Amino acid sequence: MSILEMKGISKAFGGAKALTDVDFSVEEGEIHALLGENGAGKSTLMNILTGVIQADSGSIRFDGKLYPEPGIRQMEQAGIAFVHQELNVINDLAVFENIFLQRELKKKSGLLDKKTMIAQTVALFDELGVELSPTAMVSELKTGQKQLLEICRALHMDAKLLILDEPTTALSNAEIDHLFHILKTLKAKGKSFVFISHKMPEIFAVSDRYTVLRNGEFISSGNITDVTPHQVTSDMVGVQYVDKDVYERRPLGDVVLELRGFSGHGFRNIDLTLRRGEIVAFTGLAGCGASELLQTMFGALPAEGGQLRINGTPVHGGIHSFMKHSVGMLPANRKENSVVPDMNILENTYLAEHTLSRRRPFIRQKAELSRYNALRDLLRIKAGSPGDPITSLSGGNQQKVFLARWLNIGADLLLFDNPTQGVDVGAKAEIYRLILQLAAEGRTVILNTLEIPEIRKVSDRCVVFYDGEVAKIFDHDEIDEHAVMLYSTNAVHAAGVQSHV
Amino acid sequence: MSENKVAEKKTAGKKGAGFLPLLGKAWSRYSFIFVFVIILIVYAVTVHVNGNTFKWSHITAILASQNTVIVGTMAIGMALIIITGQIDLSVGSSLVLCTGCCIMVFNVTGSILLMLLAALGSGFLCGAINGVLSGYAKMPPFIVTLGTMLIYRSLTLSVVRELDSSVTGSSSSQFAMASGSPKYELLRMKFGTGKLVLGSVSIPYITFLFIALLILFVIVCRSTKYGKSVYAVGSNEKSARLAGINVQWTKVSVFIITGLLAGVAAFIQACKIGNVTPASSGTSYEMYAIAAVVLGGINMAGGRGNMLGVLFGALSYTTINFIIVSIPALSTDIQNAFQGLVLILVILVQTVGPVIRENFRNARKRRQALRQ
Repeated sequence: MSILEMKGISKAFGGAKALTDVDFSVEEGEIHALLGENGAGKSTLMNILTGVIQADSGSIRFDGKLYPEPGIRQMEQAGIAFVHQELNVINDLAVFENIFLQRELKKKSGLLDKKTMIAQTVALFDELGVELSPTAMVSELKTGQKQLLEICRALHMDAKLLILDEPTTALSNAEIDHLFHILKTLKAKGKSFVFISHKMPEIFAVSDRYTVLRNGEFISSGNITDVTPHQVTSDMVGVQYVDKDVYERRPLGDVVLELRGFSGHGFRNIDLTLRRGEIVAFTGLAGCGASELLQTMFGALPAEGGQLRINGTPVHGGIHSFMKHSVGMLPANRKENSVVPDMNILENTYLAEHTLSRRRPFIRQKAELSRYNALRDLLRIKAGSPGDPITSLSGGNQQKVFLARWLNIGADLLLFDNPTQGVDVGAKAEIYRLILQLAAEGRTVILNTLEIPEIRKVSDRCVVFYDGEVAKIFDHDEIDEHAVMLYSTNAVHAAGVQSHV
Repeated sequence: MSENKVAEKKTAGKKGAGFLPLLGKAWSRYSFIFVFVIILIVYAVTVHVNGNTFKWSHITAILASQNTVIVGTMAIGMALIIITGQIDLSVGSSLVLCTGCCIMVFNVTGSILLMLLAALGSGFLCGAINGVLSGYAKMPPFIVTLGTMLIYRSLTLSVVRELDSSVTGSSSSQFAMASGSPKYELLRMKFGTGKLVLGSVSIPYITFLFIALLILFVIVCRSTKYGKSVYAVGSNEKSARLAGINVQWTKVSVFIITGLLAGVAAFIQACKIGNVTPASSGTSYEMYAIAAVVLGGINMAGGRGNMLGVLFGALSYTTINFIIVSIPALSTDIQNAFQGLVLILVILVQTVGPVIRENFRNARKRRQALRQ
């Protein structure tokens, strides 16, 4: 019997359709894998289920009851719990206090009944086989333990259906095994799970059934034992849409960047050589180390070993010394890492240049304006006056301003960390067009992105990372979404295991 | 290109449409001037109610007041620190320490240049200690400067008791400038309490010094690369760092500037008053400086604010004091309560105002959406 049935769910944000007529059902006592690429609509669907946003049409039936207008509170009380990727536990409280947060037990005197709360926590942990001290401070727990704590809290609230959003991203292999063991125990007790993950080996190890979404549409659903990782990957990727018009093979110049045994936070032993005018895409799952590598190549994180040479010279030190070697980085998470919200467009553009020309302390407004206007026309930034606040621009145009920030210092090695995050489809196309244009002008580009379909449109080579190391390097002609997915999810390995069995 | 130009013209045309929107814009950008004007009018009214006529001498008194010139000078530095998102509680104690140092150097050497250098040098040290501890050692500035606030004053206090009266210039627990020499006359009479007289209008020299410093820092904030980096650090530290700004050094530098300004303020204090009492002089000046910064419309969260606001903030704060003093019904005991009340009111308008405006805007949007 289905505990959850969502039928004909549709949702549009403005004009963009996020979900179109999606069906999704979960049986009682099963682990159901919800699959799809980034932007396929998984989060939107789960946000509708948990009442964070309202669907435009469709019905939700949970535990035999219809929910025409679900709210956050209501769905929580109905027994749906969302265990988020960014954990929602309170670090400064003890384990048992987190479990009983907002539902503390009190004595007659009105004081907290710690004894009973601790005893109940111990009972809960024993039942699940969780080895945690109820009185430990949460700040001292490892990520895996916090994850378990959050699951326990959900269960203590009598959740019947738990949504686990990429729960294994920050866990070690032993912790993952432990988590899966507990999931299986709970499953036997009749709890249901929606398991969101990109890692094929895990999906095949733990889930019973699966549903694939693509571009906001329902694609397929069935028993996990009836399919192979390859088939599921094909469903996720779909028929390839390749825009041949955009990409052109360009002649490449001398070696610009050389990495030899380069190691740092989250990646190790990277060997890579880039030539002038080349566009190389980095890809892999969240936490694969590509983003950290990019940040280390800009001096934002410390290198821990190996060598990095730019035009033959070894470069060390912080951001400023990399900037002097004409490196620029567009960091991921634009709002947090690029935007200076209290400054206008012109000031945001000139922020980096000012640090390089400190010797001339005064700002020459006229010269800056004319440079800005030239960059604005080059990058086709749609902006009002340069004195307008940066926050008045759309995401795509903001991103172009930050690109202008680096072109303004003459950066010719440009690192793009997930540049199309939070920009609309049109702006995405613009950014990729610009990347090609910049490369044609002799700049070298590294692009870290999770959006595999886009990689083929622009990059000369694609480096796939898995767990901090290079899993595979594809040439432009070999870039195949399916193959890239197989390497970045390590499904190659999973498929191998299956065929042995 | 042409598209952008057209868009610019359109918005420019829209904004220049009426007098009221223009006033609204001026209000949001220069609210500190309006605040000062309102407070000044209230002062003029109280003067009248007391049976006197409001004259230029009232304004000169505001301009020459301890609260305007000495607190104002330190408030310039405080503003920079607050723009970077930090705070300095030690400026009052730094003032006392620097004044003590420069008076001692004057008494011993009799040199004006060495006296000025002593003031600036000790100020630099005070600021550098604050800066290094909060910028490089990454301790919370509130705690660091709370500590140094206690340390600087208590050091000065213990030194004044130990030293010979020929050095301190006074037999009681005070630093006083040795009088009698022509240099003393020059500093105290010509500079410290001297005025530029133009007909019926007279303005103290030290006020010019304060205004010159203020103009200097208005320029620093508006048209230097360093000034922009100060704002960037306060607005979004992460973005600033990833744009190549040396965030730690920027944080240290604003403390050093504040220390130097405390040194200048100490020099002014020595020339204007001629003495300093470590136990009582300059107490709560850090709070007055913060108050001047806040009245000047500088955002306590950092990243936003006009340095020009410090001038009007300092003037407003002095005027509020004058109003309170001029009301005979208020005893001196209750004065601080009134100061506090006015301060809270102004901040309330500053923080709640935008929230209310935002609510109105959202409500209007909702109504428009409903109509559609």
